Amino acid sequence: MNARLLKNLAMPIALAAIAAFFAVKEPAFLGPRNLTQLVVEFSITGTLALGMFLILLTGQIDLSVGSGVGLVGGIAAVLVFQQGWSAPAAMSAAFAVALVLWVLMGALIVRQRIPSFIITLGGLLIFKGLFWLVIQNSTVPVVRGDQENLYSRLTTYYLPAHFGLALAAAIAAVLAVLAWRSRAARAAHRLAVPPAGRAIAQWIATAAAIVGLAAVFNAFRGVPLSLLVLAGTAAAVYFLTQHTPFGRYLYAIGGNEEAAVLSGIAVNRVLVGAYVLMGVAVALTGFMTTAYSGASTTTVGDLMELDAIAACVIGGTALKGGRGTVWGVIFGALIMTALLNGMTLLAVSPEIKFIARGAVLTLAVWMDVKLGR
Amino acid sequence: MPAPLLEARALTKRFPGVTALSNVAFDLRAGEIHALCGENGAGKSTLIKLLAGIHPHGSYAGELHVDGRPAAFRSIRDAEAAGIAVITQEFALVDELSVAENIFLGRAPRRGVRVDWLEMNRRAAALLADFGLAINPETPVRELGIGQKQLVEVVRAMDKESRVLVLDEPTAALTEQEVAVLLDHLRRLRAQGTACIYISHKLDEVFAIADRITVLRDGASITTLATRDATVPLVIKHMVGREIADMFPKRWSALTPTRFPASHPAQRVGVNALHPLRVSHLSVAPEAGSPPFLRDISFELRPGEVLGFGGLMGAGRTELLMHLFGAWGHRTSGDVQLCARAHNSATPRESIARGLVLVTEDRKRHGLVPGQPIGFNLSLSSLRQFTRTGRLDLPAEHVRNQRLFDSLRIKAPDQHARVGGLSGGNQQKVVLGKALMTGPTVVLLDEPTRGIDVGAKLEVYELINRLTAEGKAVLLVSSELPELMGMSDRIIMLHEGGVGGEFARAEFSQEKLLAAAMGHARAA
Repeated sequence: MNARLLKNLAMPIALAAIAAFFAVKEPAFLGPRNLTQLVVEFSITGTLALGMFLILLTGQIDLSVGSGVGLVGGIAAVLVFQQGWSAPAAMSAAFAVALVLWVLMGALIVRQRIPSFIITLGGLLIFKGLFWLVIQNSTVPVVRGDQENLYSRLTTYYLPAHFGLALAAAIAAVLAVLAWRSRAARAAHRLAVPPAGRAIAQWIATAAAIVGLAAVFNAFRGVPLSLLVLAGTAAAVYFLTQHTPFGRYLYAIGGNEEAAVLSGIAVNRVLVGAYVLMGVAVALTGFMTTAYSGASTTTVGDLMELDAIAACVIGGTALKGGRGTVWGVIFGALIMTALLNGMTLLAVSPEIKFIARGAVLTLAVWMDVKLGR
Repeated sequence: MPAPLLEARALTKRFPGVTALSNVAFDLRAGEIHALCGENGAGKSTLIKLLAGIHPHGSYAGELHVDGRPAAFRSIRDAEAAGIAVITQEFALVDELSVAENIFLGRAPRRGVRVDWLEMNRRAAALLADFGLAINPETPVRELGIGQKQLVEVVRAMDKESRVLVLDEPTAALTEQEVAVLLDHLRRLRAQGTACIYISHKLDEVFAIADRITVLRDGASITTLATRDATVPLVIKHMVGREIADMFPKRWSALTPTRFPASHPAQRVGVNALHPLRVSHLSVAPEAGSPPFLRDISFELRPGEVLGFGGLMGAGRTELLMHLFGAWGHRTSGDVQLCARAHNSATPRESIARGLVLVTEDRKRHGLVPGQPIGFNLSLSSLRQFTRTGRLDLPAEHVRNQRLFDSLRIKAPDQHARVGGLSGGNQQKVVLGKALMTGPTVVLLDEPTRGIDVGAKLEVYELINRLTAEGKAVLLVSSELPELMGMSDRIIMLHEGGVGGEFARAEFSQEKLLAAAMGHARAA
């Protein structure tokens, strides 16, 4: 019981420790400006990690996402800057390319029975090559002239202060309705309902956190648009994994694929579905990352597959599949982002950054093994 | 008279919930071939594992003596050092290595730190020639046929200077010609003084080669006979000679409809209802292009009936069920009708949707997601029932799971307990529950009581009766004849992929069934 408690608290404690360390070294770490920047970076890493989470749940892997992020962002940038397309049209086209590529990889993995490690390793190299061809090894801005567009604003738009607060309040209200409906449904089935006092206390704490967060962002420029992208992705992935048969099947396939087949699960279809959703996450991340750098350059997306996998694993997702939670992935992504952001703030050299990221990943997995069952 | 080469005195081995060996006596003399006979589960494999050091000294009661001196094998290595080599049904050869490398695995001749390949291949060639085997020692093992692999195992065992060779079902996968070659080699080894323990279901072989026969039954050594004093029917009689324990709950049989009370659900189904499952002239190959393994199997299943399928290990029982479920094999001919609809080239998903479920034999591997809770596993095949516009109705699912959890009397704190931590009997209930929740018409049960304790067995039997009372048809595969006879309305014995005999309830006798399973339908 103690080990389990420790395990559940391990991530919040680690996150608090990292935040405290950087805040002591550099008080600006917790300032509204840096927090806002951190949240934009977190949205990027987190969105990709949530896609990766679906893949890892089934026991598969996707190494191609970093290159894919660069490629999708690059295609949209070229269409906007060189072809003069409108941003929504360019992004839709790039989005479609991502879907096609990930359907293709998923189909190869299930139909030809090629291990996902190999297919996506091939994807990593091929997408990288395609990416560089598309942008012709140059730097392609996401805007033409100085007209801002949807693409460029993805990571630079902030909700107006009053709108941010209103949205936070609305989300809190929706959470209250959902919680109330869940209680009603349980009661209708004569299931035990947790005491109302505790539920209300829980809701108050959550609502305060959400509104408080909005207030902190408002102290700088407002709630970043990219955080809404992440929140939407997280809500979708949460719903998918906890409230749909598809999500159950992901866990079942990762837990025991043979049993899943014999339980009547269309394993191939579910796996291709997971890769399609990964493609969606890659496209969203590709747009945000490229927008965040201001332009598509050859290094966009580099090693992002490893950050995504690391975030999942730090968050308790099992690489062999069948185990993991959305909350864990969110925390894992936060830890990875806080670490990188803090080190950048302290002007740590890139060499040491790599070593520190690797060490944290290794440590997290080691602790997971130690504290695991 | 010299002390026996190997002697077991009063061996008793218990596993949780089951006594695998009780008070077994066995002795092996130098230069004899001694056969071990018994039904599936009689304790043959356990006895061998004790002799081979796989179950180490201290994990069992009783004594082992080698050359009259007590022996305490703590590992396979200890047993090998005493000259005991075991060749099991699963080959212990590494497919990717050459024949020579396999023979000298772990003890390759060396020159300094390097392997002396020339010396190794030379010695391997000499050994193979000794056995009259025309095999190039540099051939990768994967290129050998099964018979040749078996012989390479024998060569390897003999080169370890084994004095006792233990062969567990060595001929299960061999052609007649390969069997003859193997038996010739064993006779030659016997002439040189090697002793051999020979386990086989094929009594012809046993009678052709063994000097003595020891029969095991329910973990006890029943008798040891000199082969010249024994006959096939006598050995079979000793193998089955047991009272059917009075542990099978009474049941209504759909085959004698007059005995149903008017209120019985089978009346509602109607005895003349369609056959839920009708199989005609079914032949199935492991994969397209290979010769059929299941041959010309025909039967039909009536509502409310339990049709038992028996047979020896490898007779094709599991394969038959897996094929009907759509999870194994390539049909070469024949027709399957499920509720009067063609049931061909189906997937497990389609089978479940059409009302046919399978409860697999290997529940850990095929039946359960061990890391997930009981509830997750129970509803895994039935999530559609709880899906409203793409969304799972979790409370409804929870309630349904809870009902099944209670009615199956699964022993766990609640339905959120992980399945992997449950006992075998409770895991089996979860697998059964998962199948039942789909609302099947035909239930295929493959060894539903294997490895579970007596109490849980009884509950499984009661569950089977409940199913038939609801008019569902059950196909029961079991290795235990008493169970098969106690629970079935009819029994079909499979023999080497075909029907060895079909028996109505009045004709049930262990002798007849076992004889049919061994292809001696007329012997008993």
